[in-house]
Amino acid sequence: MNAAQAGSTLDAPVDGHTPPAQASAAAIPTIHVATDRGSDGAPSRPLGQTIVELRGVSCYYGSFRAVKDVSVTAAKHDVTALIGPSGCGKSTLLRTFNRMNDLVPSFRATGEILLDGQDLYSKSVDPVAVRRRVGMVFQKPNPFPKSIYDNVAFGPRVNGFKGNMDELVEHCLRKAALWDEVKDKLKQSGMALSGGQQQRLCIARTIAIEPEVILMDEPCSALDPRSTLQIEELMAELKKDYTIVIVTHNMQQAARASDVTVMMTMDTSDRAGYVVEQAETIQIFTNPKNQLTEDYVSGRFG
Amino acid sequence: MDAQIESLLGDAAGEAAAHAPAPREALDREEHLIRDAVLRMGALVEAAIREASRALVAHDAALALDVIKGDAIINEAQRGVSRLIAVTIATQQPVARDLRYLLTLDHVTYELERMGDHASSVAKAVIKLAPEPPLQKYIHLPEMAERGAVLVHGVLRALVDADAVKAREVAVEDDEIDRLYHATFDEVVELMRQDPANVERGTRIIIASHYLERIGDRATNIAEDIVYLVTGDVEDLNP
Repeated sequence: MNAAQAGSTLDAPVDGHTPPAQASAAAIPTIHVATDRGSDGAPSRPLGQTIVELRGVSCYYGSFRAVKDVSVTAAKHDVTALIGPSGCGKSTLLRTFNRMNDLVPSFRATGEILLDGQDLYSKSVDPVAVRRRVGMVFQKPNPFPKSIYDNVAFGPRVNGFKGNMDELVEHCLRKAALWDEVKDKLKQSGMALSGGQQQRLCIARTIAIEPEVILMDEPCSALDPRSTLQIEELMAELKKDYTIVIVTHNMQQAARASDVTVMMTMDTSDRAGYVVEQAETIQIFTNPKNQLTEDYVSGRFG
Repeated sequence: MDAQIESLLGDAAGEAAAHAPAPREALDREEHLIRDAVLRMGALVEAAIREASRALVAHDAALALDVIKGDAIINEAQRGVSRLIAVTIATQQPVARDLRYLLTLDHVTYELERMGDHASSVAKAVIKLAPEPPLQKYIHLPEMAERGAVLVHGVLRALVDADAVKAREVAVEDDEIDRLYHATFDEVVELMRQDPANVERGTRIIIASHYLERIGDRATNIAEDIVYLVTGDVEDLNP
């Protein structure tokens, strides 16, 4: 524990003119937990506007329904976590947000998948354009086999960026909290970095194309505990500018790092994943409404 | 898209956070917030003790009433801090020293809340005493109150500084409050023997001094927590 300096509260002399107790009571703070909400889960700031919304979404691989009837929202500048046991459809659901599932020939999604009110799956929408607005970071860090610099510069170059690339690369590496560690070796291969650094490079690469939403599919499961916690702190910074949706099988990570948690599980009768509960993270981990959620977060099943 | 990035780069010029974020910043931040809330609560309790004493000496029933009303705020603060601690434990999964620290803070707020109740009880006695002439300059009450307030301040300082030596000193200083309580008791009983007109005031003074003595005991309880937090040893500082 830090031998922290006592706040001015302790040092201020209590003189004969100290006002009655009421006056200083207003200073008892509402804690700014990761969610910026009050301690009883009630928001101490207004709920963010929705940026991603799924309405009655089901996902099929061929005739097999992998995810059934999901309606969830992700609010702007929140970190929304999808949790649940293996096979419950979390990653399948995540990949619908940026149409990555299009790459699977038998895949089909029904229902509405909206980004800022716009249907991502309408015929007129270009999936590549979607993936510019909705970036993704994967479980195993996957930097390009290029220099650190070129990893970040690649996307903007493809998109026709005409400005100062050096500045852009530095900006993105700073935002990914990687700049200090790599600024003297930008020409080195991105693959020569440590796991945690590679993942931060992938985040920098994602940021470089200026997405609105960043999806993360178990971004820390290949990393050591310290890198994991660093990335979580980074997410807290990044959400100021982006909306983050993260799939994690690490509940403690969801508890530490997310504002809202969506609990999913698999229905054993038809093996389709579905949403059990979506609520503020504080609520899910202190007093969830659903017994299944309670059992899962307590580690009693899954 | 270029225009968006241009404006972003304008912001980047003064950007500070280029370091990799520290792993437990969120937990540290929450611990500090909780600790600060506890310190603010402590300041309210100190003030309540001194105000109750001031009201006694000034025969100010209105000020005493303020102390009683102010106790509701201390109670609410305790509930708030307890909730925050539960949320932090649930969401940040602290272990080892972080966990012991938060559990200590939870206990400290409980003791502070009870101290606030005791100050309020003193104030209730003061309201009854206010219209009456003073009984022998309130015996030792003002001194007990001042010592109690100083102990609250000292023990919270020891908590912040993680200072077991200072915490043990608090326990020793509480002995003086205990001594004053017993002296008060004996003197007031004597006054009541001498003159039945003294009985009502004397009884209220004994009751008030008992609450002030309890405040000192609770400060010692906090001191024991601090010793445990720092050393891992459970010591009874008030045998």
